[in-house]
Amino acid sequence: MSTVTTRADATVVRPWQQLVVIWALLLTAPFWLPLVGGYTAVAARVLVMALAAMGLNLLLGYTGVLSFGHAAYFGLGAYGAGLTLKYVAHSTPLAIVAGTLLGGIAGMLFGLLLVRRRGVYFAMVTIAFGQVCFYIAYKWDDFTGGYDGLRGFVRAPLDFGLFTIDITNNGMLFYYFVVVVFGLAVGLQALILRSPFGRTMLAIRENERRARFLGLPVEKHIWISFSISCFFTALAGTLYALLNNFADPLGLNYIMSGNIVMIAVMGGMRTFWGPLVGAVLFVLLQDYVSSMTTNWMSFVGLVFVLVVLFFPRGLMGVLQRKPSA
Amino acid sequence: MSRNGVGPMVRRRRILKVGAGIGALQFTAPFIIQARGEQPVKIGFIDPITGSLSALAVSEVEGAKWTVEQMNKKGGILGRPVELLVEDSANDTGTGVQKAHKLIERDKVDVIMGDVNSGIAYAIMGVTSEKKVLHIVPGGHTDPITGKDCKWNTFRTCNTTAMDAAAVTGELVKKFGKKWFFITPDYAYGKTLQENFVKNLKKAGGTYEGDMLPIANTDFSATLIKAKAYKPDVLLNNMGGAAQLNCMKQFVQFGMAKEMALGGALYEIETLRSVPKEALTGWWVMEWWWNQPNVPAVKQFVDAISPALGGKKPSARHWFSYVSINAVRLAAEKAKSLEAVKMAHALSDLELPPEIALSPNKIRYRGGDHQLMSDLFVGQVQPAGPGGPDDLFKVESVVPGEQAAGSAEATGCKISWPA
Repeated sequence: MSTVTTRADATVVRPWQQLVVIWALLLTAPFWLPLVGGYTAVAARVLVMALAAMGLNLLLGYTGVLSFGHAAYFGLGAYGAGLTLKYVAHSTPLAIVAGTLLGGIAGMLFGLLLVRRRGVYFAMVTIAFGQVCFYIAYKWDDFTGGYDGLRGFVRAPLDFGLFTIDITNNGMLFYYFVVVVFGLAVGLQALILRSPFGRTMLAIRENERRARFLGLPVEKHIWISFSISCFFTALAGTLYALLNNFADPLGLNYIMSGNIVMIAVMGGMRTFWGPLVGAVLFVLLQDYVSSMTTNWMSFVGLVFVLVVLFFPRGLMGVLQRKPSA
Repeated sequence: MSRNGVGPMVRRRRILKVGAGIGALQFTAPFIIQARGEQPVKIGFIDPITGSLSALAVSEVEGAKWTVEQMNKKGGILGRPVELLVEDSANDTGTGVQKAHKLIERDKVDVIMGDVNSGIAYAIMGVTSEKKVLHIVPGGHTDPITGKDCKWNTFRTCNTTAMDAAAVTGELVKKFGKKWFFITPDYAYGKTLQENFVKNLKKAGGTYEGDMLPIANTDFSATLIKAKAYKPDVLLNNMGGAAQLNCMKQFVQFGMAKEMALGGALYEIETLRSVPKEALTGWWVMEWWWNQPNVPAVKQFVDAISPALGGKKPSARHWFSYVSINAVRLAAEKAKSLEAVKMAHALSDLELPPEIALSPNKIRYRGGDHQLMSDLFVGQVQPAGPGGPDDLFKVESVVPGEQAAGSAEATGCKISWPA
């Protein structure tokens, strides 16, 4: 028994090793990316998509509820940030806060109507809410720019009083800004997951009925989990708007929701870092294969099918130990 | 969670799985651009090759590839070979912007072109103006690109919706009358288009009524009944794609073709090819047409490019790419440089030579708003005529671009050049 454990421990990637590898790669990305044919903006995009999928993963992977409408909160975050920069104040932090609040609060309100639904019904209603947001952005030409999208705003430099950081024109500084926001967000997520509330989410995922019999207010917990998840995805949306200096209605569309789910599932939806791995795979496939062939969507689909067939727990799930049965 | 678990042994199967996974990842690994001895002039071309606009985008890419091939045979640009880097925007703004970053930051292109989708073209303008790269929009129509949001580095080859509307309004009023009924898709492009029509119609003293319908509407019966009761001289179909087609089919089925004229702004040969014969009717604008008997250079161009298109005639989209890429060459030669600011100055008000313009009148990228003042071909759509399967349009009049566009100041464009 003891020998078995030792051998297994020796080969399994430990959490602190994971952390070191992931952060080392992220922090040095602008330096090694050009050497392998990449560029900084693609790394920023990976982080944004990863954060959106990690937000979803709180719900999907850790609470066991599938939302197919997370693009709504992603897009609302993007519009919130864009509209703030355009109409309210030329301030990046304010835009991020406003966008996150817009998407997150919308998620909280929708969540109230959602929590009693389960399974496919839950997913269907989330799609419906997503499409409602999509059509509002699409039709409200004067305010949101309609089909053409919201333009006419740029991210503002960060002003610290004594000095400013020019993330507007310097792609690398903006990347590090995204890394910092991403780091704070995933740190907060990890804290939530380690809290008693996080454990309760797992209990609901594993056996909802038992959790209910233990006296846990299941609906309330799912609502809170859904709301938190929306806040994180909305935060990712604000970063997306800042990255592109643009917000468009397709960011609210169910296709985007599907992409977010795909990223989480490919990477490994029951693992913490899975969505990051999924985002790397998804964005790189999109970016590189689409330059080589117009049938790149088939490749994305094929990879997705292969991952689901051979790595049902996602790519990251393979690297981690099976939970003790 | 897993931290507390007892790990199993490393199984052979797992090693195989991981191995297969790593193997599969190699397909996605970024490929490295190899160093080349001779530094080519790089043109980045972003278009929605997948998605609902793909037919138009594919034509643009075909045109661009052929033009670059021909250009390289004749010595390229400033004696350097031209390299075309095509990227798919997948009809998605985020992807389009991403590709613009990729082309500029990684591939260090000298010029960016794109996109058919005007929303994406707009968004790309944000990147190109930030990075100070010359940007030519071959085929995205929304007005502000060369109107109130114009930029020193952005030039547009296709028309504005305002030009299309102005050109066709004059003809339709002259031929049929001033009482119109509009069927318009309810989004920014449709609204701008209708506003432009109404502006021109009111100037001519006309009256109108109309319906705004969802962009992908399929059933037009209610609207067509309303239109029939209004008894207009002209029914104006502003719908696009499949909706445009359905509207025309139902218009013919309702027997309305005998009661009123049908017209609209833009029709493209890519769409016409899939229209059933009975719905090939109405007055429209073509932004370029392959059959211009009075312009000898056109026939030479058509004969040269057709074999590369599988015998099909080139469309306006092919011409957009042809003009745009040649404009880069002309600008570079005039400026004797590939610097964006110098090329942009050189391209302003540069008159295109006849073998590039391929149009009856002289055309140029107007200095005031960087819009190409191309001729507009107003005429009737017809079932394939004597000229072969692509003879789907009969040109009735040619409206000079300047006349359709109005003054550069009126577009709201103020170009500010970098110091």
